[in-house]
Amino acid sequence: MKQKEGKISTYIVGEKVPHFKSLSGIEYKEVYSRSDWNGELPDPGKYPFTRGIHRDMYRGRLWTRRQQSGFGTPEESNERIKYLLRIGQTGINMDVDIATKSGLDPDYPLARADVGLQGTSLCTYEDMAALYKDIDLDQVSSTLIVQPPCSAIIMAQYLLLAKERKIPWEKLIGTIMNCALSQYVGANFQATTSFFPVDMSVKIGLDVMEYLVPHLPRWNIININAYNIRETGISAVQEAAFSMSLASDYIKELIKRGLDIDSFARRMAFFSAADIDLFEEVAKLRAMRRIWARMLKEKFGAKNEQSLRFRTAIQTAALPLTAQQPLNNIVRTTIQTLVAVLAGTQSIHTTGYDEAYSLPTEESHKLSIRTQQIIAYETKVVNSVDPLGGSYLVETLTDQIEEQIWELMKVIEDKGGFIQCFKEGWVEEEFNKARYQYAESIEIGEHPIVGVNIFREEDEEIKINIFKQAPEMQAKRIQYAQDYRKNRDQEPVKRALGRIYDLVKRKSEVNLFEPIMEAVKARATVQQIHDAMRQAADFVIPG
Amino acid sequence: MTSKRKRIITCKMGLDSHDNGLRIISKWLMDSGYEVIYSGLYNTPERIVKTAIEEGADAIGMSFLCGGHLFYADKLSKELRQKNMEHIKVIIGGVIPPDDVLKLKSLGIDAIFTPGTPKEKILGVIQSLLA
Repeated sequence: MKQKEGKISTYIVGEKVPHFKSLSGIEYKEVYSRSDWNGELPDPGKYPFTRGIHRDMYRGRLWTRRQQSGFGTPEESNERIKYLLRIGQTGINMDVDIATKSGLDPDYPLARADVGLQGTSLCTYEDMAALYKDIDLDQVSSTLIVQPPCSAIIMAQYLLLAKERKIPWEKLIGTIMNCALSQYVGANFQATTSFFPVDMSVKIGLDVMEYLVPHLPRWNIININAYNIRETGISAVQEAAFSMSLASDYIKELIKRGLDIDSFARRMAFFSAADIDLFEEVAKLRAMRRIWARMLKEKFGAKNEQSLRFRTAIQTAALPLTAQQPLNNIVRTTIQTLVAVLAGTQSIHTTGYDEAYSLPTEESHKLSIRTQQIIAYETKVVNSVDPLGGSYLVETLTDQIEEQIWELMKVIEDKGGFIQCFKEGWVEEEFNKARYQYAESIEIGEHPIVGVNIFREEDEEIKINIFKQAPEMQAKRIQYAQDYRKNRDQEPVKRALGRIYDLVKRKSEVNLFEPIMEAVKARATVQQIHDAMRQAADFVIPG
Repeated sequence: MTSKRKRIITCKMGLDSHDNGLRIISKWLMDSGYEVIYSGLYNTPERIVKTAIEEGADAIGMSFLCGGHLFYADKLSKELRQKNMEHIKVIIGGVIPPDDVLKLKSLGIDAIFTPGTPKEKILGVIQSLLA
C-alpha cells in the first residue's frame, strides 16, 4: 500500500520512526543498563509506594471497570448504567450534561441546544432517583462527575436518595469529582469563570469536602482531574505537576479550616490520563505515587499511612484517537488500557473507538469493558505486582520524570500556588503554548499519527455505527423543567432559596452544603439554587 | 498591490466549552494573514451575526464538539438570511458524524472540517472560499 508521501518502503531503503523522544520530550537512550539505574526498590504497599499502593495489588483485587456514561433523560441514562453493569462494569461513573454542570435548567435559552448531549440532564431530586432506579446504592460504588458549585447539589441529591431508601451514609462508597478548576472542561479560563464566581466555586468545593469527611467515611471528597487538563496537549510532566500543585492548594485550605490532615487526605484522589507512550505513562504514575507520599509526609506531616497512598482513576487519553480509520482506535485504547494496568491504577475507563464521532454506542461501550476483561483474565499481567519495576529504562524514566515534576511544582509554588496561577492566566498561557505546539507537531509529522499524517487514506468511508440521541429528548426535558417548577409547593422553595441568598450575602464564610441540601429537599432546581447564590454575589451569567 | 485583509469571526455556540480546535484554527488563520475576531464561548447566532455586521466580517467559523451543530447551523443560516447577510461564508469544524456533514451542506454551510484535516487543506479551502 502506497504511503501518502509517495514513497514505497523497500527492503533496501528501510523504515525508521522520525525521532526517539518521549511524548513529553525526554530523549530515550538507545539502551538502558545497570549504569543508568542500580538502585533499591521499596516493596509495594510500603512508603513511598513506587511499586504500588497495596502489597498484592491486582492479585488481591482487580482494578474497577468504571466506564463513564450518561446522556439524554435520567431514564435513558439509567438503562445504560444497568446495561453496563450487566455486561461486566464493576463501578458506576455518571456524567451530567453541560447545562447541569453550568447550573442551568434545560429551558434556559443558551442551554436548550446542549441539553442531554454530553451527559445526563439532571435538574431535580426526582431526576437523581430516576437515574438510580433499580440500583442498590450500598452494593456498588459510584463516581459522580460534577464540579462545584453544582457538586453540592448533585451530592445532596444522592445523599437524600440514600436516606429515602434507608441506606446509612456510612455504607456509601464512591467519589464526587468536585474540583472547581480542573473538572468542568479542564481549567479553561473563560468557561470556569463565566457561570459562577470562581472563588465561590472553590469555596463551595471545600464546603462539600468538609461536610463529607465526617459523614461519609468511604466516600472520596475530590478527584483532581489531571485527565481533562492533559487533553489540551500539555505533557505528562505538566499533567502531574499541575494536578499535584492543585491538590496541595486544597490541602492547605482544608487545614486552614481546622481539619486534621489524616482525617481527609486518604479521601483525596486523582483522575489521570493514560496516553500512548507506554513507558513514560507508567513512569509518570510511579513518580506521582512517590511525590504524593513524600509531599504528604514531609510537607504536610501526615502520620497515617492511608494518607500517603496516591490513588487514581484512569481514562485512556482521547487526544491520540482519530476520526480517520476509527477501528484503529481499538488498538490504541487497548495499549493505553494495558499502560494503566502496568502503571497500577485503581480504576479504568477505556475510551470508545468512536470517540471522534459521538458518545459510545452500546457496542463500543461493551468493547471497552471486554478490553479490560481480556487484559485482566487472559494476559497474566495481573499475576505479579509492578511487573516493569526494576527495568533499567522504567526506573531511570521514573526518576527523570519525578525530578521534572518537582521542578515544575516549585515554579508553581513560587508563583503562589496553582489556584493563583490559574487566576492570573498563567495556566491558560501554558495550555495555549501546548495546544499550538501539539497541533504544529502533527502538521510537520514530528508527532506521527497513523491515518492522519502517515498512512492516510483519502476518501475513506466511515462504516462504524454512530450513537444517536432519541428524538424529542431535549423538548421533553425542557417541558419537564417548566412543569416541575410550576407544579410544586412554592413556599418551602422560596424559604430555602432565601436562606442561601442571605448566607451568601451576609455570612459568606458559612458552609453552604446543608442549606443547599435543604433547598434540594424543598424541590428547588439546579438553576434556582445557583441563581440564589449568583444574585447574592451580583454575578451575571451569559445569556 | 495589497488587497484588504479578510475578516473571520471564530466562535463557539451555546454551552459547548471545548476550545482546543477553535484556538488552534484561530491562530493558524492569524498566522496566514487573516484578521480574526476571536469571539470565544457562549455565543448565540443573533449576537454573532450582529458582530459580523458591525465588523464587516467576510466569514464566520464555528466549532462544535458536543453535538449542537445542526441546531446552530440552521439558526445561523436563517439569521444571516433575515439580516440580508448571505454573502458571509459559514465554516464549521469539529466532531461531526458523516451523515450530519451532508445535512450541513444542504443547509448551505460553505465548508465543513472534521478532525485530522491537515492545516494546508483547511487554509486552502478557506482561501478559495474568500477569494
